[in-house]
Amino acid sequence: MNEPNPNQDEQNKSTEDSECVVLVVDTNKCIGSGMCEMLEETIFLINEDTNLAEVLGGGALAAERAAVVVDRCPASAISVL
Amino acid sequence: MTAVIESSQNVTDSSLYLDGIPHDRFAALRAQPGIAWHPYGDDDSAGFWAVTRHRDIKEVSKNAETFSSALGHTNLWDLEADALEARRSLIDTDAPDHTRLRRLISSVFTPKNIRRWEDLTRSVVSDVLDNFEANEGGDWVDLVAAPLPIRVILAVLGVPVEDADYLVELSNYLVEGTGGEQSLAPDAFGNTTELALLPFNSPASHAMFEYGARLADLRRNEPQDDMVTMLVQAEADGEKLSASEFRNLFHLLVFAGNETTRTALSHGAVAFADHPDQLQRLCDDRSLLDTATDEVLRWATPILHMRRTATVDTELAGTAISANQKVVMWYASANRDETVFDDPFSFNVGRGGGNQFSFGGGGPHFCLGAFLARLEISALFDEMASRSLGLRQRGEIVRSPSNFVHGILSVDMEPVR
Repeated sequence: MNEPNPNQDEQNKSTEDSECVVLVVDTNKCIGSGMCEMLEETIFLINEDTNLAEVLGGGALAAERAAVVVDRCPASAISVL
Repeated sequence: MTAVIESSQNVTDSSLYLDGIPHDRFAALRAQPGIAWHPYGDDDSAGFWAVTRHRDIKEVSKNAETFSSALGHTNLWDLEADALEARRSLIDTDAPDHTRLRRLISSVFTPKNIRRWEDLTRSVVSDVLDNFEANEGGDWVDLVAAPLPIRVILAVLGVPVEDADYLVELSNYLVEGTGGEQSLAPDAFGNTTELALLPFNSPASHAMFEYGARLADLRRNEPQDDMVTMLVQAEADGEKLSASEFRNLFHLLVFAGNETTRTALSHGAVAFADHPDQLQRLCDDRSLLDTATDEVLRWATPILHMRRTATVDTELAGTAISANQKVVMWYASANRDETVFDDPFSFNVGRGGGNQFSFGGGGPHFCLGAFLARLEISALFDEMASRSLGLRQRGEIVRSPSNFVHGILSVDMEPVR
């Protein structure tokens, strides 16, 4: 079973001590839904000119939380570097 | 080995849905290995693969190259080529067309940009609840669940107040087109287009197109702070929305922004009437609002299924699928999948997780209006919690005879304070 645990979203917000990974956006795939910006607004921004997602501040995030963000992107445009 | 669904396990008979989603049949399908073949219509090739497990639906949804939205149609039946072209909206496109169209308009619907409509939504919520309470209840659909989304979407789009009743009327005719008989003559509203070329085969679609085009012209000349202005000004990579793309999108927004949220608000109300303890939890702890919204969405599943069509020979859950075969994702089943949701038939506002498939299965066709719908649902139940306003169901639920929309036509509710 590889579904995220339904309660993981909340739990993963406080995982400072877990391993960090770096996320990148493939702008060829991005549809600008804003899902990433909603999930992690300090890391993602929808650029107002291109309407596409951008990574801010290096894109580092706890691995488990990163997996949720990657999974939730409707365009499968986010990946771990 | 392929299992063929017997008629006693049929999930497309619309009359089944008058008693609610046939959950026992879906549970049996989820428990079977592989994907079962569901006969449909008179001829063998019209059947489809019935995808009922959460993980399989996600795979189909995310793999849009293999499972196309543009081939055939996204409904169970096929459309003739000319009808498909004339009726094609964002829903029935694949990349790169889908990506281009979606990017043109996506910024209007991001969670951040949807926040600008929050005050407006809260004021409509107050208004409809005041009316519901002043009347000591009544038909929840008529008093709350229908007017709230239609008033929000029309205000957001920038439809003048004096035209709202006309668009509500058109929208109601479109809902009729998803179910049984149509009450309109083919030439109603001055329609001259062949009905097969119009969404829902309805002359009301012609009227909706005409209205949208007129409003777009007005806003092009005199921009306002509304969504139609944002759409006519929308531009990405130097591209703009064409006239036909705009009218199909306007039509989609009025219809989808109305019917589906109505359904979520109706099922949410029934759920809270059946589970007053869950409303009490929300009253006591408003930090549950987000997960409560997720749970209402999971409980409601406003759209029961969407179809894809295989572009190549492929395989899903060990079952071989041939190119051009229909693959139907039953969100209604995924939202009760016991391998994903513990105790899936209990309504639990603290469940959380956000992995319900009520805005699609997580692929590129993720509901464009998802964050507006979430705003409306959360604003309504937040305000009910603020007022400590509970509900008691006074009459039977009257459901839509549809295997596509999980509609509630009416349900009599009274306020409990």
